[in-house]
Amino acid sequence: MPRWGMVIDVKRCIACWGCTIACKEEHFLPPGVFFNRVLIGETGKFPSSSKLIYPILCNHCSDAACVEACPTGATYVREDGIVAIDDKKCVGCRACLVACPYQQRTYYDQKVKSKEYFPGQGKTEMELIGEKLYPFKLGTVIKCNFCSERIEAGLKKGLTPGKDEDASPACVNICPVNARVFGDLDDPNSEINRMIMENKGKQLRKEFGTEPAVYYID
Amino acid sequence: MSNKDHELIQTMFPPDGSGLKPYEWMVNPTRQQQWIDNQGVFLWLAFFFSEIGAGLYFVSLFYEFKAGLVLGWLITLVLGGVIHILYLGNPLRAWRMLMKPNTSELSRGIWIIGVFAALGFVQIITSGGFNIVLNIIMGILCLLIITHGFATMNVIRALPAWSSTMVLPLSVISGVWVGHQLLQFMFAASKPAEMAAGMEVWAEVFFFAYVLCIVLYVWGTYHSNEIGKASILMQVTGELKRISLIGVAGLGVGLPLILTLIMWGGDTNAFWIFLRLASVIAGDLAVRYVIMKSAVYKPLLTRQ
Repeated sequence: MPRWGMVIDVKRCIACWGCTIACKEEHFLPPGVFFNRVLIGETGKFPSSSKLIYPILCNHCSDAACVEACPTGATYVREDGIVAIDDKKCVGCRACLVACPYQQRTYYDQKVKSKEYFPGQGKTEMELIGEKLYPFKLGTVIKCNFCSERIEAGLKKGLTPGKDEDASPACVNICPVNARVFGDLDDPNSEINRMIMENKGKQLRKEFGTEPAVYYID
Repeated sequence: MSNKDHELIQTMFPPDGSGLKPYEWMVNPTRQQQWIDNQGVFLWLAFFFSEIGAGLYFVSLFYEFKAGLVLGWLITLVLGGVIHILYLGNPLRAWRMLMKPNTSELSRGIWIIGVFAALGFVQIITSGGFNIVLNIIMGILCLLIITHGFATMNVIRALPAWSSTMVLPLSVISGVWVGHQLLQFMFAASKPAEMAAGMEVWAEVFFFAYVLCIVLYVWGTYHSNEIGKASILMQVTGELKRISLIGVAGLGVGLPLILTLIMWGGDTNAFWIFLRLASVIAGDLAVRYVIMKSAVYKPLLTRQ
């Protein structure tokens, strides 16, 4: 069984927010909800300051704080390493949301659901279709799922996630500079492992001990 | 700017910071909001009521005072439990919270409250309920319930204001202290004056232990790391300054100190005890509020 992970080369990222938008389109996310963010910060002091650009998403940690905190087992780590949420089990206690050191979860309530992209003008056809095609359950927590439905559909067709677009996450496909690489962390010969080893890939906030599956090359 | 433009901006960038500023999210220390803002106040109240109900039950065990047990049991289950369930997004699925006591502190708490509810009921309805074995079991359960709220917060490593070492001792002492004050007032209102006066020596002990825990919490969290320091600064000099000053320093420490000194040595009366009880309850609510409100996450990018 593979263990899916991602490498993000921040030196390549140009902060185009393509990943952010592709993710919103893929999951029909309402206004204010993001499974992918691009953080922009600075380090150092003038004149030797530098800009930091970090695309952030759920880190799909193998020792995830959210999984530990969840009192119902709704949040769990799948065999393929993806941290998933079973919305039938989620009670909406938001313990996972508070526990996540990366703050990449969103509580989906009526307030979020009712937001319109064009306030006061009603929901567009696209928004309404999205609610049918990709329904989120009220009173539950939602987050990035590494586009698991794309991965599963792709695998059924015999495609390889990370190589074939139809089996890869939307944020990986859209990236115009190939800053994101997706693949199997358990395969020593995979592209993702080669990149991590050659470039000394780092996990974000490793000190929390959550063992993220997203690595950064900077 | 038209109203519609303004509304769009409010939607995309709500003033409470909950909306999208994708390039700023978690770049700076970011305050946790889910467990205190908006519907989150339910959780603050639920933890508080569970704590003081269990505290009252705990202290009542030592005095074998059944009315205290009944009131403590009701406060814990009816106020603490119901308010807690109201907070949930799907309250009808609340039973599912029993499913993962192996890793989830929240789940363990639900189990403990369930056992407390059953055994407490047995203790209350049976005439020989105050036997030593049951007292010890119920005492332990009460202490676990008192710490339940803060223990749930304490395990969150990403929030130094909550994962501070002093959070649990503060929780135990505050639960016992408020419970003691409730019982002392019940005694003052319904029993001979000597009963309430006899409790005063413990009031003094609990009060000073409570103040010591607050001081150690502030000192320890401030010196733990930069984020802990930011949380304490938010409490002391930032947006929570007023609540800290009036609620914690004034009602939680100052006024009870004056009243404790007035009643020093057991010179008690019902009015002073009532006044101290009201002040202590308001103060403890304020302590919990500022601790919950001031918790901030370590930024993912450190801006220097």
